[in-house]
Amino acid sequence: MIQALVLLLLALLGAPLFAVICAGALSGFAGSGGELMVVPLEINRIADTPFLVAIPFFTFAGYLLGESKAPTRLVQVSNALFGWMPGGLAVVALVTCALFTAFTGASGVTIVALGALLYPAMKEAGYDESFNLGLITTSGSLGLLFPPSLPLILYGIVAGTSIDKLFVAGILPGIAMVVLLSAWSLRQGRAVVRRSAPATPFSWRGVARALWCARWELPLPVLVLGGVYSGLLAVSEVAAVTVAYVLVVEVVLYREIPIRRLPAVMRESMVLVGGILIILGASLASTNYLIDAKVPATLLAFVTSHISSRLTFLILLNLFLLVLGAMLDIFSALVIVVPLILPIAISYGVDPVHLGIIFLANMQIGYCTPPVGMNLFIASYRFNKPVVMLYKATMPFLLILLATVLAITYWPWLSLVFVR
Amino acid sequence: MYGPGAVPEETAAEETAAEEMVPEEMVPEDTVPEDTVPEETAADPTSSASSVVSRAIRCGARIEDGVLVTILAVMLLLALAQILLRNVFSVGLLWGDGMLRVLVLWVGLLGALAATRDDRQITVDVLSRLLPGRARAGVRVLVDLFTAAVSGLVAWHAGRLVLNAYQYGDIAFAGVPSWICQLVLPLAFGLIAIRYLLYSIRHLGQALGRGGEL
Repeated sequence: MIQALVLLLLALLGAPLFAVICAGALSGFAGSGGELMVVPLEINRIADTPFLVAIPFFTFAGYLLGESKAPTRLVQVSNALFGWMPGGLAVVALVTCALFTAFTGASGVTIVALGALLYPAMKEAGYDESFNLGLITTSGSLGLLFPPSLPLILYGIVAGTSIDKLFVAGILPGIAMVVLLSAWSLRQGRAVVRRSAPATPFSWRGVARALWCARWELPLPVLVLGGVYSGLLAVSEVAAVTVAYVLVVEVVLYREIPIRRLPAVMRESMVLVGGILIILGASLASTNYLIDAKVPATLLAFVTSHISSRLTFLILLNLFLLVLGAMLDIFSALVIVVPLILPIAISYGVDPVHLGIIFLANMQIGYCTPPVGMNLFIASYRFNKPVVMLYKATMPFLLILLATVLAITYWPWLSLVFVR
Repeated sequence: MYGPGAVPEETAAEETAAEEMVPEEMVPEDTVPEDTVPEETAADPTSSASSVVSRAIRCGARIEDGVLVTILAVMLLLALAQILLRNVFSVGLLWGDGMLRVLVLWVGLLGALAATRDDRQITVDVLSRLLPGRARAGVRVLVDLFTAAVSGLVAWHAGRLVLNAYQYGDIAFAGVPSWICQLVLPLAFGLIAIRYLLYSIRHLGQALGRGGEL
């Protein structure tokens, strides 16, 4: 108990999470007279985990896209499609961010790459500061329910659930989030349009020109989904093909990333992968200890003896995940907590695929909640605004996301309709 | 002293977009942007003796990054070759998948080492940002030493693990012994431990008011 408190304090003081988790596993095994060699042995299990190779590949592909002018082209396409609507620019921002985040895995790249384009554009169009900031900050993690986002893959790996199924399960809930946020933004946008110049009118030629500019990047979602669902390729192979495709497109066809720049982009993306995988390794060890100490079983017995209905369980799950999301980043939360709550959720008849979507949807809100919401800090740094101002600005968007999360949680159909 | 060493001419460009992509709020005010610190000054007050050391560290960093980038490239080529062989020629490398998985471990741990060098490991860090500069550096010393100790301990037991695998002569894939595959565990954790020890020295200097702002 004292050990746990000391470790918690160290974590709050800024000790790297992998060290805190490793320390927990080491002290746990040592306390029960176990062999400490188990800890590196468990970390070594990263090398036995199938599909994990998808993570470095997709991350690298996402960083390459962020490095190129793909964000600009994406904005052009959605601007041509939605920019004519009153308040359409906000919809442009939401759709672009969601698509881009799917490929970059909500690692903060979205706000950095797209925020720089969208924030000034919206300011120019007359949106007020608070709305603008709130929208961009929230959008930084919108789209992590869409394939091939890293958190989806990581959940599949940790929970032992089919990644293919997770990829389809996230689509409707993800669309629901984008649509609801868009509807609200359009409502807000009407006032803006009255004050300023009308948006650019819709033109087929504009659409055609934007589509033509982005012609090489447009097939990417088809490549990913088609690769997985044609049954030709496994998820990890789709990831490899995606990298190869993006490399050819950005380096050879668009020539926006010089070859000598590649090692730096590779290293940069692997810094993120390393940060995630070392925590995954550490929590393989700590989970092994927890199972040895029968913690999941005890927890299951405790929860089932106190909570009788599935509905109560889901409400508590939501509350728990919201708090968790405010404390931990999505990747750490996944690898540490999913092994513990998965058996409990199953005992209440919650489908593991559905649980994954619930989990990620809750965590998405955590990206924007204090004290640790990553989007808040990135946006605060990027746009040079105090974090407190961003708390206020994101509030209305968070309420809408919260409503979606509730719908996702209590209406399994939304996640499972295509899975079954 | 931990300036990204992979491709020297890229360092300046790298900090602009990439620095904030950390999955944590390790953003500006509490990390020293290493790239802006001249490498010599970062190498500690007692500089004349440590200039050899700092050069060794820089050289090591370059090697680490080189290996990291090479492994990712090999992974990609292997994965693509595997797909091509299977779908076009209906054959496959039997050891391909095994090797790919081992390389994921390598790229992950070497990536973690690179993250350590950039001081961008994932943290929660709620309390220390509330502290004033000197106190924060003091807390960092504690945190650094803790992380170094834990990593060192894992490295030590990983070393024993490798030794065991060597003695038993386990084979991972295609005749490659397991101990070679596992070698990255003591290596990466050992180097991470050393990095955090070096951080603790630097932060100690700052806590005592010698190293400037945090």
